[in-house]
Amino acid sequence: MPSLHIILTTSFIITLVILISPVFTSILYKSLNPNWHTHHSKNAVKMAFFTSLLPLFLHLHTGTELTITNLHSMNIMTFDINTSFKLDHLSITFVPIALYVTWAILVFASWYMKSDPKFNQFFKFLLIFLIAMVTLVTANNMFQLFIGWEGVGIMSFLLIGWWWARADRNTAALQAVLYNRVGDVGLIFALGWMATNLNSWEMQLMFITAKSLDMNAPLIGLILAATGKSAQFGLHPWLPSAMEGPTPVSALLHSSTMVVAGIFLLVRLSPLMQDNPFALTTCLILGALTTLFTTICALTQNDIKKIIAFSTSSQLGLMMVTIGLNQPYLAFLHICTHAFFKAMLFLSSGVIIHALNNEQDIRKMGGLHYLIPTTTSWLTIGSLALMGTPFLAGFFSKDAIIVALNNSYLNAWALALTLLATSLTAAYSLRMIFFVNMNFPRFPALSPINENIKSITNPLKRLAWGTILAGLLMTCAVLPPKPPMLSMPPYIKLTALVITILGLTIALELALFTNKQRPYMPKQYFYFSTMLGYYPTIMHRFFPYTFLKLSQTIATMTIDQTWLEKTGPKTITSLNLSLATTTSNIQKGMIKTFLSLFFTTLMIIILLNYY
Amino acid sequence: MNPYLLIVLLTSLGLGTALTLSSTHWLLAWLGLEVGTLAILPLMAQRHHPRATEAATKYFIVQATAAATLLFAAFNNAWLQGHSDIQHMSHPLFTSMITLALLLKLGLAPMHTWMPQVIQGVSLNTGLIVSTWQKIAPFILLLQIKQIHPPLLTIIGLASILIGGWGGLNQTQLRKILAYSSIAHLGWILLILQHSTALATYALLIYIFMTSATFITLKKCKATTINMLTTTWTKAPTITLVAPLMLLSLGGLPPLSGFAPKWFILQELTQLNFIPHASIAAMAALLSLSYYLRLSYSITLSLSPNNLPECLQWRVNYPISTPLSSALPAALALTLFLLPLTPSALTLII
Repeated sequence: MPSLHIILTTSFIITLVILISPVFTSILYKSLNPNWHTHHSKNAVKMAFFTSLLPLFLHLHTGTELTITNLHSMNIMTFDINTSFKLDHLSITFVPIALYVTWAILVFASWYMKSDPKFNQFFKFLLIFLIAMVTLVTANNMFQLFIGWEGVGIMSFLLIGWWWARADRNTAALQAVLYNRVGDVGLIFALGWMATNLNSWEMQLMFITAKSLDMNAPLIGLILAATGKSAQFGLHPWLPSAMEGPTPVSALLHSSTMVVAGIFLLVRLSPLMQDNPFALTTCLILGALTTLFTTICALTQNDIKKIIAFSTSSQLGLMMVTIGLNQPYLAFLHICTHAFFKAMLFLSSGVIIHALNNEQDIRKMGGLHYLIPTTTSWLTIGSLALMGTPFLAGFFSKDAIIVALNNSYLNAWALALTLLATSLTAAYSLRMIFFVNMNFPRFPALSPINENIKSITNPLKRLAWGTILAGLLMTCAVLPPKPPMLSMPPYIKLTALVITILGLTIALELALFTNKQRPYMPKQYFYFSTMLGYYPTIMHRFFPYTFLKLSQTIATMTIDQTWLEKTGPKTITSLNLSLATTTSNIQKGMIKTFLSLFFTTLMIIILLNYY
Repeated sequence: MNPYLLIVLLTSLGLGTALTLSSTHWLLAWLGLEVGTLAILPLMAQRHHPRATEAATKYFIVQATAAATLLFAAFNNAWLQGHSDIQHMSHPLFTSMITLALLLKLGLAPMHTWMPQVIQGVSLNTGLIVSTWQKIAPFILLLQIKQIHPPLLTIIGLASILIGGWGGLNQTQLRKILAYSSIAHLGWILLILQHSTALATYALLIYIFMTSATFITLKKCKATTINMLTTTWTKAPTITLVAPLMLLSLGGLPPLSGFAPKWFILQELTQLNFIPHASIAAMAALLSLSYYLRLSYSITLSLSPNNLPECLQWRVNYPISTPLSSALPAALALTLFLLPLTPSALTLII
């Protein structure tokens, strides 16, 4: 088809322009209608979604991928930095999905945040976040990626602390920024290493020149960046704390888009990683540890948003495991499918929270299946997709991952942990559904339960369609770059399904205990899980205390007080004081003093004369 | 004091120094010194109060001891050498004895202990004369002696600077402070005496100007302790303005003239590779600077707790100008503004 690239380029640029325009027009144009900005943002995202479908279809039809290089931003001798967009399979697929999910979330947010005085600004923030995310995803050089990276970090901070009057919110926002920053150190180190050793920040150039070099150092930096941004174990506590923000924020940032940025970075730079067994093993182990740990933590949470947050965390661990298995495409697939059902889960939980008058504790919910049937259906569908129910969206990605896992010759302990986590996923999902949907209501009778609002049902319906169909569409439309594992014994193929069902049954058994009077079980078994493995308790106190103590000892006591005060001025003062007093105390008014001193000096000089 | 007596005494003072300055024979030098000592004694004791008498007595004993030692050593040297020329002394022992005697006369460490008491005991005018005029004669004699032991003068010079610094820190009486400051300045002069007579003379000259300006200022303010300095701003605001500059000139800060001798002395010492001496001298100058700053702080930079009526003097002093106060402008000008003229001033002395 002639001039294909022009159509692709133009439609992508139009998408970007449509996204950016509400931000600028909100500065330049004030309307009398207070909701104007909201409508404008929603419509902008909707239009951008439809416009971005054009590159998607063109790409699916013809397999076109292209790179757009626009401005020459700066150069340092032979090192160029441009603004260049890379529209390859990853970004062309991800951008429409992100826009679709954002569209749904924005429509939902127009209902959820309606009573907030500054919800125009809220929409603007979400839009700026989206632009930063698109920049990150379509970046062809590390500099632009870093711009997007920082952008999503800052918007996450602003959005988590949206209701900043509450101290916990501010702490959570700060936590997010700090943990992300620790990860950014890795990214900046990798950037620096690449600038000095590979002499370029363009992806294509990097992939070629990196073939012969030992890439351990920058890859560790990149993995650290992914650990920070995607809440892997070690830098994970910010993700559950980020649930302090409003539900649309949790849905957009901390489920679909921002937290996958770290994984996306590793997927983008996977040609650097595929020959480095050290980096791959690190990813594998880190991912397995994350997924199991967060799943265990999710088992005993009582806040519905925290359960979903931990499930996000464990899915991110799973994505990391996939990268460690050297299957970046499957990780990307899981990113895309996960976006749909996780956003749907968050939005449904948002409806439930609003319906029960801001009640987030699942012990105080129940029987909602009879009261808000559509919402609980979305919840159930989302959970089923999360568990990997055959032929929903999650199945295509998750099952492929587990199959690749089982057929690989890698670290068996990591594989075992991942399988365990998969079954526990089913367990906590069932726990959530059991407490929310089933049994009898445990909340006050006069709750404002209402789901007959178009702003809720339409976006959730769209997301539900996505949850059901997205996996199928994506798997059928594109040939995977790596050949999938197709022949294996049946028990290997059915492993994922079997352990999920196992987890479901055990969880169901346990849930049914709640109806019966059982002997009281000591709670100590749960403490590890409820306290999130004691990780925040220890880490948030130990490191700050150590560093502050160290700084007090070194900076204040040693340098300031000792070297700069005591050894200098105070010593001189005391020395001079004693000498001055001695000198002036010689004066006693006695003639004896002068004459004797004269005599003594004279004698000394005479004696010295003869020697 | 009886004007005739005053004229006789002052003339004798001048005569004594002139005799010493113009002599080549030790006897005449000693004669000049003795005449000067005797002439100033009545001036010191003119008030008849015990402290003045005591000061005069101490001054006499000290100067007499010094002069006696001087004469003894000079005659011994003459006996051994055959002539008593001042400039051609060669015997090491007696040269050192004469040097020590002259240093005692000047009031340098470790023989400085009489200076603060004497200057404290006498009035400000007499203190001025003791501090400035009486230093000229021994100094000239020192210049002319060939030093057998160069370290002697250097060590005594450094010790004087240090003692002048430390001693003045613990004082509140202004005359004692000025005594210690003169010890310190003479120490600086002594450092450079053997190496460059021109610089030593220049340093002495600037020292005389600065000390005269200080003494005259204090006389005008009628202040003898630091506390009495604090009310200067009510009596003579102009002096309050200028006094810190004068004191800082004593301390040796540029761009005032007190900086010039210190600068050149340090430069000369450095060129002769006497780095430790230069360093110690420069550091010790800080000690003196601290008590000059304290004085300037109490004169100008702070207001002492005062009630309103005290702020305006209703009893004005007539005549406003004392005999010496006409010299104040000249002395002040020379203290403050001589630095740019240093090259030409040096050529005059060299």
